[in-house]
Amino acid sequence: MNNNLTIARDNTGKPSWQFLISELKPKGKFLTPFNIISIPVMILGLILIVIRFWKGLGAITNLTQEVPWGLWIGFDVVTGVAFAGGAYVLTFMVYILNMQKYHSIVRITVLNGFLAYVFYAGALLLDLGRPWNVINPIIGNSFGTSSVLFLVAWHFLLYMIAQLIEFSPAIAEWLGAKRARKILSGMTIAAVIFGITLSTLHQSGLGALYLMCKDKIHPLWYSEFIPVLFFVSSIFAGLSMVIFEGSISHRVFFDQISEKNHKSHNGIITGLSKICAVAMFAYFFLQLLVFVHGRHWELLNTPMGYWYILEMAGFVLLPMALYFYSYRRQNVTLIKVAAVLTMLGVILNRLNVTVIGFKWAASVRYVPTWMEFAVTLAVIFAEIWIFRWVINRMPVLRESPSWVNEEN
Amino acid sequence: MDGFSYNNIFETKGIEYIIIIAFLLMIIPFWIAINRQVSLKSQISNAIGMLSESILRIPKGLLFNKNHTWVHLGKSGIAEVGIDDFLLHVTGELRFRELKKPGSFIRKGEMLAAADHNGKILKIYSPISGRVEKINLLLTETPAVVNDDPYEKGWICKIKPEGWTEETRSYFLADEALAWTKAELLRFKDFLAGSAMKYSPEASMVLLQDGGELCDRPLSGLPDEVWHDFQKSFLDMKG
Repeated sequence: MNNNLTIARDNTGKPSWQFLISELKPKGKFLTPFNIISIPVMILGLILIVIRFWKGLGAITNLTQEVPWGLWIGFDVVTGVAFAGGAYVLTFMVYILNMQKYHSIVRITVLNGFLAYVFYAGALLLDLGRPWNVINPIIGNSFGTSSVLFLVAWHFLLYMIAQLIEFSPAIAEWLGAKRARKILSGMTIAAVIFGITLSTLHQSGLGALYLMCKDKIHPLWYSEFIPVLFFVSSIFAGLSMVIFEGSISHRVFFDQISEKNHKSHNGIITGLSKICAVAMFAYFFLQLLVFVHGRHWELLNTPMGYWYILEMAGFVLLPMALYFYSYRRQNVTLIKVAAVLTMLGVILNRLNVTVIGFKWAASVRYVPTWMEFAVTLAVIFAEIWIFRWVINRMPVLRESPSWVNEEN
Repeated sequence: MDGFSYNNIFETKGIEYIIIIAFLLMIIPFWIAINRQVSLKSQISNAIGMLSESILRIPKGLLFNKNHTWVHLGKSGIAEVGIDDFLLHVTGELRFRELKKPGSFIRKGEMLAAADHNGKILKIYSPISGRVEKINLLLTETPAVVNDDPYEKGWICKIKPEGWTEETRSYFLADEALAWTKAELLRFKDFLAGSAMKYSPEASMVLLQDGGELCDRPLSGLPDEVWHDFQKSFLDMKG
């Protein structure tokens, strides 16, 4: 273990509360470019959120009775959850298929997934007219079992708990709680299996939400197979996020990563690029099949049709070919380009279903206000702040403290 | 069903079946193509692209010699001897065997140790003459030390030198060492293109297995003959 780190340190004997208080203090340089940009945005976002709860949704959003779900649902919730899909894919690979090569990035991916759920699903509260009612499906104040939202609500809750359990050994190591770590790490495999089951169901469940809007969604994007498409695309959306986020945290937190993990990083990225290429290949054929099944040929030659073709060719086929080519060439830079392109494609696809293709023919189109964008950005920045706070303190990227190996 | 006809490919879902069959047919070549071994040529050009002097560590205060060892004379008059970063980057993790015993006398150019990488052996020759004072025990206990830190913790042995001035006259220091390493890298690229291509039929070659180290350590997966050639062209004593 690297003992030279001044930022990251585990508790070695101090009482937990003293340690916790000392860990709450900010560490490292404060005036970084990221902080200078993100702090004003977060303050602005906070002010806007206060206004939203004080004066109502109409005060800062362009949402109406006609279009009740806007950017906050379409981007924060639907897209954010797709990007968090990396956690279930990776835990499946490592704990079920025993692909130990990817073990070193499991913790950071699970942390990323967990925070994504907490923040982006948390952003759902902003969009609910009466947010306090969100616990109704949980506490049974009319469960609403016939609604897809019932499934989504329970799954989000349970999946967040499962991910917290998957991540909890890192928290125990940080606090120096040896017994707790033993118990919690024993629960990991159960949490993983539970989490994967939930993920496969609610990734598609989010798509199923939009089955209710058959007449509102443009026919090129609406089909009864939205749940399947959402699920399959969450595989490569999540993995592309892992590649993208991994490359960034590899630079930002380079001092926490051991030499061995540094060297295996490229191998991990190329391995993931292969999985992405195959998943996108299958996804493209599914899309083709759904398109042919829908028989909307004539719609292709309309502006929305061109938009559809752009999504399929530019953001599915092209990144797939790039993943394929860069995997064959073992070109890590090109893999990162493909990852960014794929992520843009997933954002585009989710927004096409939820915002752009939603009520596409209405005379007054919904366009998000700048304030909706600002709040979205603030939510993302807040998540990155917490992410950084955790990584700088807990053994996520760095090696676990030495007592962990001694026990095993 | 009104107007249903078995001749209509849309109504019988024929076109959807055709797409599914096409998918199944195409996934086979797709799978084969993506899993084919990365060709030798692109592996070598990759390795050549990645191995640059910027990733090699060359401390300014050590004397480097042409068979890729370094020596450093301390205040006490005892010299530390080790292998350089170039060798580590080219070969991959090394384990040391057949080390000289402490107390024995070694001549410049005599074998100091055998470096073993998965059964492939390179002979390391001593850059100076003198009495072996100490062997680095870390090498046998945690061989990773030498790979992580070849110049500090990863020394191989300590030698009390005899005839130091005479023997180290032609060795490289500081900027000279850097220039020489650059030249060695160029020479190594030529060597890879020549020797590696000569001995390795493309099919049996895996320089970069799926998920293995990328580009760094190009010798690691190559056959014994290439290692033998490498020993001759890079490590055998030339003065």
